Amino acid sequence: MSYGRFLLKRGLQGIVVVWGVVSIVFVLRFITPGNAVDAVAPLDASPELRERIAAELGLDQPLYVQYLDYLWELLQGDMGYSYISGIEASSMVFSKLPATIELAVASSIIAIGLSIPLGVISATRRHEPADYAATTFSLVGISTPNFWLGIMLILLLSVQFGIFPTSGRAFGFVEAFRIAANQGVGAGADAFYQWLRFITLPAVTLGTYFTALITRLTRSGMLEELGQSYVRATRAKGLPESLIRYKHALRNTLIPVITVLGLQLGTLIGGAVITESVFSWPGLGTTLINAINTRDWPILQATLVVIGTGFVIVNLVVDAVYAYLDPQVVAE
Amino acid sequence: MSDKDSPDVSRRKFLGFAGAATATAVAGCGGNGGTDTDTDQPGGNGDTDEPTDTPTGDDTPTERPEPETRDGYLQRANRVAHEQAPWVFLNRQYSVYGKSEDIEWQARADEFIDAYAISPATDSGDDVVINQSQMDSGLDPQDHRATPTDNIVMQAYEKLLDRDREGAILTSLAEDYSRQEDGVVRFHIRDGISFHSGDDLTPEDVAYSVNRIVDPDTGIASPQQDQLAGVTGAEVVDGERAVDVMSDGLNPIVFSLFASYGPIVNKSWIQTNENAYINQNIDGTGPFVLETYEQGVEVVFNRNDNYWKEAADISSLTVTSASESSTRVNSLLSGEADIIVNVPPQEVSRIEENDGSSIAATPSTRVIFNAMRYDVEPFDSPEFRQAVNYAIDLESIVQNVLSTFGDQTAQPTLDGFFGFNGDLDPYPYDPEQAEALVEESGYAGVEVELHTPVGRYLNDVEIAQAVAGYLDDLENVTASVNQRDFQALAGEVTDGDIETSPHWYLLGWGNATFDASQTLIPLLKSDGVLTSWSNDEFDRVIEEAQSMPSEQ
Amino acid sequence: MISPRTLRNLRKELRSSALAKIGIVLVLAMILIAAFAPFIALHNPTNQNLDENNLPPMGFSRTTEETTSEMVNGSLELTNETVYVNATASHPMGTNSLGQDVYSRAVYGARTSMMVGVLGTLLAAVLGVSVGLVAGFYRGRVDDALMRFADVSLAFPSLVLAIALIGLWGRAAVDVPDPFVVFGLVDPVRSALGLPTGMPDSFVLPGTVIVVVGLVNWVWFARIARGEALSIREEEYVKAARALGASDARIIGRHVLPNATTPILVLATIQVAAIILLESSLSFLGFSGTTLSWGFDISQGRAYLSTAWWIATVPGLAIVLAVIGVNLVGDWLRDALDPGIEGEGGV
Repeated sequence: MSYGRFLLKRGLQGIVVVWGVVSIVFVLRFITPGNAVDAVAPLDASPELRERIAAELGLDQPLYVQYLDYLWELLQGDMGYSYISGIEASSMVFSKLPATIELAVASSIIAIGLSIPLGVISATRRHEPADYAATTFSLVGISTPNFWLGIMLILLLSVQFGIFPTSGRAFGFVEAFRIAANQGVGAGADAFYQWLRFITLPAVTLGTYFTALITRLTRSGMLEELGQSYVRATRAKGLPESLIRYKHALRNTLIPVITVLGLQLGTLIGGAVITESVFSWPGLGTTLINAINTRDWPILQATLVVIGTGFVIVNLVVDAVYAYLDPQVVAE
Repeated sequence: MSDKDSPDVSRRKFLGFAGAATATAVAGCGGNGGTDTDTDQPGGNGDTDEPTDTPTGDDTPTERPEPETRDGYLQRANRVAHEQAPWVFLNRQYSVYGKSEDIEWQARADEFIDAYAISPATDSGDDVVINQSQMDSGLDPQDHRATPTDNIVMQAYEKLLDRDREGAILTSLAEDYSRQEDGVVRFHIRDGISFHSGDDLTPEDVAYSVNRIVDPDTGIASPQQDQLAGVTGAEVVDGERAVDVMSDGLNPIVFSLFASYGPIVNKSWIQTNENAYINQNIDGTGPFVLETYEQGVEVVFNRNDNYWKEAADISSLTVTSASESSTRVNSLLSGEADIIVNVPPQEVSRIEENDGSSIAATPSTRVIFNAMRYDVEPFDSPEFRQAVNYAIDLESIVQNVLSTFGDQTAQPTLDGFFGFNGDLDPYPYDPEQAEALVEESGYAGVEVELHTPVGRYLNDVEIAQAVAGYLDDLENVTASVNQRDFQALAGEVTDGDIETSPHWYLLGWGNATFDASQTLIPLLKSDGVLTSWSNDEFDRVIEEAQSMPSEQ
Repeated sequence: MISPRTLRNLRKELRSSALAKIGIVLVLAMILIAAFAPFIALHNPTNQNLDENNLPPMGFSRTTEETTSEMVNGSLELTNETVYVNATASHPMGTNSLGQDVYSRAVYGARTSMMVGVLGTLLAAVLGVSVGLVAGFYRGRVDDALMRFADVSLAFPSLVLAIALIGLWGRAAVDVPDPFVVFGLVDPVRSALGLPTGMPDSFVLPGTVIVVVGLVNWVWFARIARGEALSIREEEYVKAARALGASDARIIGRHVLPNATTPILVLATIQVAAIILLESSLSFLGFSGTTLSWGFDISQGRAYLSTAWWIATVPGLAIVLAVIGVNLVGDWLRDALDPGIEGEGGV
């Protein structure tokens, strides 16, 4: 099938998955012990609040009606209001989303930027010190819990040497652009600098696991590729070594790497939750944990839906890139 | 103290209403809560109405004479509470703040960080950042019960009266106050004050504000109702720029209440706006105007240049939070924050040694305790409750967990408050006695769980773990700790329904009125808003106390 | 299920790889430490002793600044003094803020990590393999439905789903009696060695956490099992067995499953590593049913980083070593048995 049809097919599958995500979140409240209002209401809810919740959930109505109402509201972007602060759930969640996206993107850039060269170097200089260093680093990197790494980094680089701030987020990336537009290059540059200062430690913390992981994959993938017969053949043809390495072997290595990257996105977001907690980074992860601790059901629901949906979208993108690199996938 | 807060109430007037004990007690000095005019006491213990002391924890009821003064009744109430042990008595909190050298500021005992009183010491001190342990739960000044929210909203909202750093009562939006008759007091409202929106402050706003707090049918059912304890409503006085406030009975400390509680809001602004809007915006009369509000993350204020008094010294105020104490400390040391709260004892020397920062500490008006619900097992047994008190080594907790930044308590009332009973000693550390009492209670082998907030009070989790650890050390009890989010725990406890509260929980109670009643009533009286106890004798004694004037 | 050829490959890889040897040593050490914790720990890990709190590890005795406060004439005075804090041999890795022995807590923490790691993986494997085998063997609509369901499961990052589930279900835990202590084997040995007695007679098994980590990780096993089922069902002998009328269950059990063992085993070791990390993250965030866990200790030590860094560092190192060990074993299995395994499983 053509690339376009492939994309369409994946897109439709994605929609089905999103529907599944949304439904599971709906079901969640029914699989908790106790009745639905108890499960959902904050423990200190007044009787008025409980009545309001019961009415909102439409508990007096048959299940399928509740479900359809829920879907219909979601489609309109209505995810209810926070039980704690009364703020609209969708606006609250979407206002925190950019922070998490920034963190995820920044860590991914660090991870991919570092790991692929590392993996290639490691594979091509096998059994040399560079290789040993890279493999040790990657082994430790996938074995270190990222919250501990974050805490150690704070201890060293923030507390001891004062290079980076300890927590928080000064400006968003987009906000920095806006500042540059409104207040000129100087203010904009300063805003970017501040943004960079605050995001560095969290991004490094989150990115370490992936750097390590992708380094390992790149290395083993390259080793396999370099041993393949077509490599020997092209070498025999007299093509320069570097061309062989990078163009052919790397390209074929990237395919499984991207697969894994797609599969690992879940880990990235999960890791983001913890990293946000360690660095007080005001993103969706912090929102999720707060919502659970305060039993703020609408926010919890909204966060899960947004995370799940976002995840599916990103997976789609990864699939699209994957298919572009490996046309065989499309042909199946 | 800067000359902005000019106490224009005469000292005599203040003493007349609140008692000399309040004035002397406030700097947190030691000594006993005395009575008003009796200065020479046998043994100097200031305890006129109690016969000579019996050993602590002796639970054979002694026949004691009936007290005669309000002070006597309050002291008796404290004794009953001590002997029946509805609480595990822990410590008086010390407010340990970290402060940067960029600002001039001194800590208050009532834990309010008065940004109006901050002045810059250097250029960067003009924009002040406060880092608390929690953010607010919404900006409605009358719909919360937590000090961290106060520290945010009360920079922009004001009360009828106020207190200076030592606790003395000052006028604020009310320019004077007087008693009219039994149960009615009158406040004259100052002229020429406007809200941030431009609306003028009128007596209608004041009356509405009071009613919104004390009357569940006006506006919201405010959880602050018991802060204005005994107040039933307010009315505008015909023909005068004044408001009458009505109370149930005499209400001896009503002015003290209005000095600590009761923010004034703009009636029309509240009535025309939705709940969600009120929780995200501010229209007050105070020295700071809300600039931006990022729920759960940070609140930014700018100086109110149209303030009815002299404008604030600093030009902007940012309040943010981090529940991890180490994060707060790091933010101070790196220069990000100017004031941080709850510096844990182990970090105190680090802050002192650092050039740009120092410690500002003072004993607070807050008592830390464990409440034990009287209506559930095993805490329905006084023997079991006493056993828990014997089981813990409170002295060791203060020494080792708090590194001396705290004082042991033996009663709900703090030293220096009106009604403090100087004859009561803290329960001694006696694990054997504890085990014996557990056996006696019939609850040997029970399992209990202590709920504690995390990072809200100074070393709250460590205190809770130490308490549970001591109790767990007993052969016949198993204890563990359940760490909770503070907002959620506070919500469960303050909702007015005892059934939603955990069976055993750690809490801190700040009482800035320096009067025992405002701790004893809400927390221990049968009808108290967040009570965990019900005891007839205690109720009776408290009611007697509240029906008497505070002066001799 | 494990053929002689497989064993040979394993041995060969082990001989040639130093890393594999290290991995096995680390994993064996962790298993032994976890199993024999009551014998190896120096103290009862939950015994608190406030007078001995925040003691440094051996070799790190040091002088520190300590500030105490005192009420003098109505105001609070702070006194800074230099204090010499001595490490003691009875607490070789120091104590935490409650005076609990850091080393003993690390030893018992191994139990929690191992139990959750192994049991959680077992649960995920049982669930996932069952679903995967059925999907791969029957194909068609059953397969489609199950795989869509898998996709949806994967749409939630494991940690996010785990947190949400634990938040909703609570943190139920089970007290499991410690057989060594209950049968009285521990005290005599400890007394003979001169160690204090009184070890905990039960340990806490965080049931909800185990169930949750199993639930969020089943998909990886399902995919592998499905892949194997898909390819093996095409084999001649399988077709023959079906033609002969053997029941599906028998075919799956006798032919498909044994051949899938190898890749499942490799995946399982990877999963154990991932689950140990997941459990430590959950207990770090406070979502665990037990306080005797490495992640929990790290969160407790956060407030003391600058003054008592060992409280957070020791459990952190324990996690790193444990997971390195499991990962190395996983590498060994993969290199020896089936270098074609893709992916590292999820966290």
